[in-house]
Amino acid sequence: MKLHHHPELLDRLAAAHALGTLRGGARRRFEALAREEPAVRAAALIWQGRVAGMNELQMPQAPAAAVWTRIDNLVRADQDSRAMAMARRAPSVQTPAGGGWWRNLTLWRGATAAGALATVLALVTAVGLRDQLGAEIGALQARLATVPTVEYVAVLNDDSASPSMLVTFDPNNRRLTLQRVGDFQESADKSLQLWALPPSGAPRSLGVLGQERLLRLAAAEGDVREVPTLAISLEPKGGVPSETGPTGPVLFKGPLIQKML
Amino acid sequence: MSAPPLGMAAQLHAQCAMPDTPDDALMALIDRIARQDAAALKALYDLTSGKLYGLALRVLRRNEWAEDALQDTFLQIWRTATDYRASLSPPMAWLGLIVRSRSLDQLRRRRAERDHLTDEIDDAMADTLEGDSPNPMDTSLASQQAWALHQCLSRLENKQREVVSLAYLRDLSHGELAQQLQLPLGTVKTWIRRGLDQLRTCMARFA
Repeated sequence: MKLHHHPELLDRLAAAHALGTLRGGARRRFEALAREEPAVRAAALIWQGRVAGMNELQMPQAPAAAVWTRIDNLVRADQDSRAMAMARRAPSVQTPAGGGWWRNLTLWRGATAAGALATVLALVTAVGLRDQLGAEIGALQARLATVPTVEYVAVLNDDSASPSMLVTFDPNNRRLTLQRVGDFQESADKSLQLWALPPSGAPRSLGVLGQERLLRLAAAEGDVREVPTLAISLEPKGGVPSETGPTGPVLFKGPLIQKML
Repeated sequence: MSAPPLGMAAQLHAQCAMPDTPDDALMALIDRIARQDAAALKALYDLTSGKLYGLALRVLRRNEWAEDALQDTFLQIWRTATDYRASLSPPMAWLGLIVRSRSLDQLRRRRAERDHLTDEIDDAMADTLEGDSPNPMDTSLASQQAWALHQCLSRLENKQREVVSLAYLRDLSHGELAQQLQLPLGTVKTWIRRGLDQLRTCMARFA
């Protein structure tokens, strides 16, 4: 039967198909006909468009403000990873005379992992004992786990929105790395202190910073997981206990973003 | 059957909607998002999130689930805005389809996660057609096509309109509708059939 010779029936089936109430074998037969007969396909598409108008007729409701924050975080992380991918590709273009490839982070990460693998394989061969293979694979996995990965990133800005501190967290090595990017230098009798600002509850101290431009702090992933914001306050030399909370002014602050890649 | 003067109203709407429509503004934003302009995404969110969240809530009922669906929607918009022009859809139609798909994904995911809690989910989803109160419709930002559907849906009895709407929005079969709305299966089938027949007659005038 040519369905398009029965316009009334075709229209009824196409409408029910678009609404979703045409089910089971009837639905499969209709869809098979739509693939064969352009007129059936056209009717199906017209009704899909008509019925989809339902999506546009619902009463507006205000979503919670936190929804945009979450979207914004993910979009920023997406932009960051694109920027990093661009930066990785860029050097080979910018420095045609060479000198690009050896700065390639991915390559070196790969090389580190390959180095670890080679070491273990050499060990395995040297020892030559099958029953030690399991232990060696364990060692390899442990070694690979120490290759740094950056999973959390924060750029802390000062009052005038100038970036002042770049913070990254590597969960494999349980290490926070802080790099001063502004020219702020605290006086000799003061210390900068890093705080996690959890969504509820008091700020938690993540550590006190030394005077150097690049510094590292030990931290567990639990310390930074689900922490939306990091802040740095100016404290008396050596900092204050975590329970006290910041006592001096908050100098730098910024959202902590978990990278998806 | 007496035909109400739909044609003239539709014409008027079309004239008003020609230049400088919200559609133009929305399309300009989607084009900017396709070029990875995050500020445009925020502007689109400010303009449409209320409307789109209303749809997600109608599909999912629970704030938490609808918020997740809205988040998935805007991430998809961010990633696939380059596909918009090829869809040939009015912007709100394209956005609405994304919200409905992501909302139905949420529903499937929640069901799969907690299979043993299906009853609880059904309870949460249960709508009662109390009295004959109309579920209000809203035409703000609606495309011309949706506006036509609105005209035709308005002509249905409230209960018919509700059943037809939920069948589509929540992708429910006759049986599932009967269960969620606590109505006899035969009643649901009759309302849907009559509702669709009236819609077909009415929509044909807008073709």
